[in-house]
Amino acid sequence: MSLIGLISFIGTIIIFLLSKKVYKKMNWIILSPLLICPLIIIAILLITHTSYSDYNSGATWLSKLLGPATVAFAVPIYKNFPLLKKHAKAIGLSLVTGSAVAIISSFLFAMWIGLSNDMVNSLVPRSITTPIAMDISEIIGGEPTMTAVFVIVTGLTGSIIGPLVIKYIRIRTSAAKGLLLGMGAHGCGTSKAFEIGELEGTYSSLAMIVAALISIVLSDTFFPVLQHYLVG
Amino acid sequence: MYMKIIKIILQIIFLYGILLLGDGIARLVHLPIPGSIIGLVLLFTALQLHIVKLEWVDLGAGLLTGELLLFFVPSAVGVVQYDQILGVIGVKLVAVIVLSTIVVMACTGLVADSVQKRGAKKA
Repeated sequence: MSLIGLISFIGTIIIFLLSKKVYKKMNWIILSPLLICPLIIIAILLITHTSYSDYNSGATWLSKLLGPATVAFAVPIYKNFPLLKKHAKAIGLSLVTGSAVAIISSFLFAMWIGLSNDMVNSLVPRSITTPIAMDISEIIGGEPTMTAVFVIVTGLTGSIIGPLVIKYIRIRTSAAKGLLLGMGAHGCGTSKAFEIGELEGTYSSLAMIVAALISIVLSDTFFPVLQHYLVG
Repeated sequence: MYMKIIKIILQIIFLYGILLLGDGIARLVHLPIPGSIIGLVLLFTALQLHIVKLEWVDLGAGLLTGELLLFFVPSAVGVVQYDQILGVIGVKLVAVIVLSTIVVMACTGLVADSVQKRGAKKA
């Protein structure tokens, strides 16, 4: 790893930990480490005239940890499995609804504001975890790299909006809180859910995974039908 | 303290190994499911069958799931490369994402809440 890569890797961790500290102290939703930390890094890159590819040569090792982190979600699911089994019906119904709504609403809103077709197709899989979202984007005729950007924008907005949605539509149960965060904002929502509580986080982890699987099925069956009727 | 750090690193390497196994399986049988999800199912099954003990992965998994946002930071920084996101289309795109995310979250939450309430009444 080059020196600049090493600095990027360690620097990102330090800035992230500091952002987290500030966030905990101020407890202000807009100060989410996922917003503040990248903004600080972008500012540093601009000031020091460092290119993104130089930065990412080291920082990419952090992105790579997303893989084992996804595997690691087996642990909270294992620990809470009896409870999850008990609520299987609520989990299944809400996630199928959520996945279908994710596809339909992205599609309709995007058509409404007049986005191009490949843009719409890149947007549709954005609420699920990056590697799967990119695969689906490819399948339905979107641009996978564009989708990766939409996934992160969704995660960011979702982790900020999620708690407001919970508050304003008066969601009461831990299950519903966790499920909506994991469904709407994948890993970023799940991280938020663990902030609320262990149980919410577990539901959210499960939502993230099951939603991804449901979306694979829907994008192969339901989406082409929708596309056919709405675009013609 | 040092023992704990070494334990965490070893456990993360172990989780990485499971990921590679999942990747291998996905490639071998041409599943449209990514290796990380297959790895998750493998680890879950191994825990259920007591092939893998919880102590073997608990610390490492706790760190990875607890600091999940950190792993999204490089991609979030990468958004700067897409100037499309910043222009007029960008504002529209973000509007679509915000609106759609609100609708998705509200529907998911309301369905989950109402199914649970109905279940509670029956019980």
